Amino acid sequence: MNKATVNDIVIFIATLLLAIVFFFPIFFNLMSAFKSNAEIMRDAIAFPEGFYLDSFNYLLTETDYPAAIVNSLILTAVSIALMIVFIPMAAYAIERTNAKWTNFIFLFFLSGMMVPFQSYMIPLFKEMKMLGLYGTLAAPILIYVSGAVGFGCLLYTSFLKGIPREIEESAAMDGCSRFVTFWRIVFPLLGPCTASLVVLNGLGIWNDFLMPMLVLPSGKPKTMIVEIFYYVGEFSSRWDMIFAGTAMSIVPVLIVFLLLQKYFVKGISTGAIKG
Amino acid sequence: MAKTTAAPKKKRKWPIFAILFILPSFVLYTSFVIVPTVSSMYLSFTSWDGVSPDIRFIGLSNFQEMLRSERVHNALRNTLILSVVLVLLENVAALALAMLVDQVRWMRNLFRSVFYFPVLLSGVVMGFIWTIILNYNFGVFNQLLDMLGLAAAKADWLGDPDFAMLSIILSTVWKSAGYYMIIYLAGLQGIPQELSEAASIDGAGRMQQFRHITFPLLAGSVTVCMVLSMINSLKIFDQIAVMTDGGRASRPKR
Repeated sequence: MNKATVNDIVIFIATLLLAIVFFFPIFFNLMSAFKSNAEIMRDAIAFPEGFYLDSFNYLLTETDYPAAIVNSLILTAVSIALMIVFIPMAAYAIERTNAKWTNFIFLFFLSGMMVPFQSYMIPLFKEMKMLGLYGTLAAPILIYVSGAVGFGCLLYTSFLKGIPREIEESAAMDGCSRFVTFWRIVFPLLGPCTASLVVLNGLGIWNDFLMPMLVLPSGKPKTMIVEIFYYVGEFSSRWDMIFAGTAMSIVPVLIVFLLLQKYFVKGISTGAIKG
Repeated sequence: MAKTTAAPKKKRKWPIFAILFILPSFVLYTSFVIVPTVSSMYLSFTSWDGVSPDIRFIGLSNFQEMLRSERVHNALRNTLILSVVLVLLENVAALALAMLVDQVRWMRNLFRSVFYFPVLLSGVVMGFIWTIILNYNFGVFNQLLDMLGLAAAKADWLGDPDFAMLSIILSTVWKSAGYYMIIYLAGLQGIPQELSEAASIDGAGRMQQFRHITFPLLAGSVTVCMVLSMINSLKIFDQIAVMTDGGRASRPKR
């Protein structure tokens, strides 16, 4: 073997070892979801003796977990849908008009990027109560969409700069209205940008804890992540339940990630550079 | 909005469309970001219990009280230590992972995914997994130490204030390194191969190549990652809530 191959093998083994260390906690969680509580207590590292599905069964039939799963799905899907309708529209108008007032609105939108959610959540909470939205799924959805405006506009406007206006002009000559031109011609061209917005925000909403915990009513099913947080306290000695619950929140994300890997990677690198 | 409609008169065709296009985002953003932010600022100068209609203006006394509070000092100190250490460790780990993944010959995409997996977890789930792994009695980590004959090194990793900070830092690095790795990888792939080839022909060793070629050309990515990890470490909440309160009485003091 020459020197280059030896080098490759050393790098490969080092990466492999690190990968095992990195993957272990997730693997451990997924594996333990199929163990009974007694098995976990007896030997945490051992492989499961069989496919023990009782904890999944219990969570799905006896607790609020199914309702929480539905809530998580609705929150993520509706928020994302509204974001990718409203935000590119605003960004398009801002970028193409390029008047004083649109530039001002752009800066106004950006100013909110610096404000963390925690610093305005108490008045927001009051406001939601006043509007009668407290306790409905609409509240978190509106908050997510509003919170994404700043970053979303930044992402879309910088992307729009690279799209030549001639395309829109020729569409306008052919008699397209501005509205149709935007949705038929410009929006499809914004695809990569939309993909990164969806990936970044979708993951954030699915995994969010603080907001659904605060804005959704107590005593009713909230989102998966909030329910898991409660289970940690409630079932503190029933680790099988907690493992099963966390496994159910991880697996959908892992599947989506494996299917859309390309977009995740692109989303992060463009998001980071533009942000 | 009334003001904005009056401003542009030159371009006839634009204003109506522009306003209609911007309006939804504008209304949402103003009512659910700006209004609460401004009222939050106002409330900071008042005395208010959060429920009653009785809101009295008390000037700066809330701030004075905070500056005197031992709890606030402690929290600030913890946040500061955590952020500085996290920014350094996360970036070193991420850069190391990116260099490895960039150079590895086989299964590159698989490795990239595996290092990225922890990023997909929520703070709650991640905090919970580590709480169990680091548990004193049943935790896998102590069990591993036993198997390796290092029983003396066993500790209550989250309950003991001396180790809690360390455990939180290392588990957070595990969670977030993959995110910055992707950014560094994008940076590394932008560096032309010819540069390192030329350098190695000129006799530069691996370390020299890294110091004089790779690292300077990555400067942009380093800045981005540093800023992002600083922001994220200052905002950290879920995993700490789970790892220090989830079924345990003691909190990290340092």
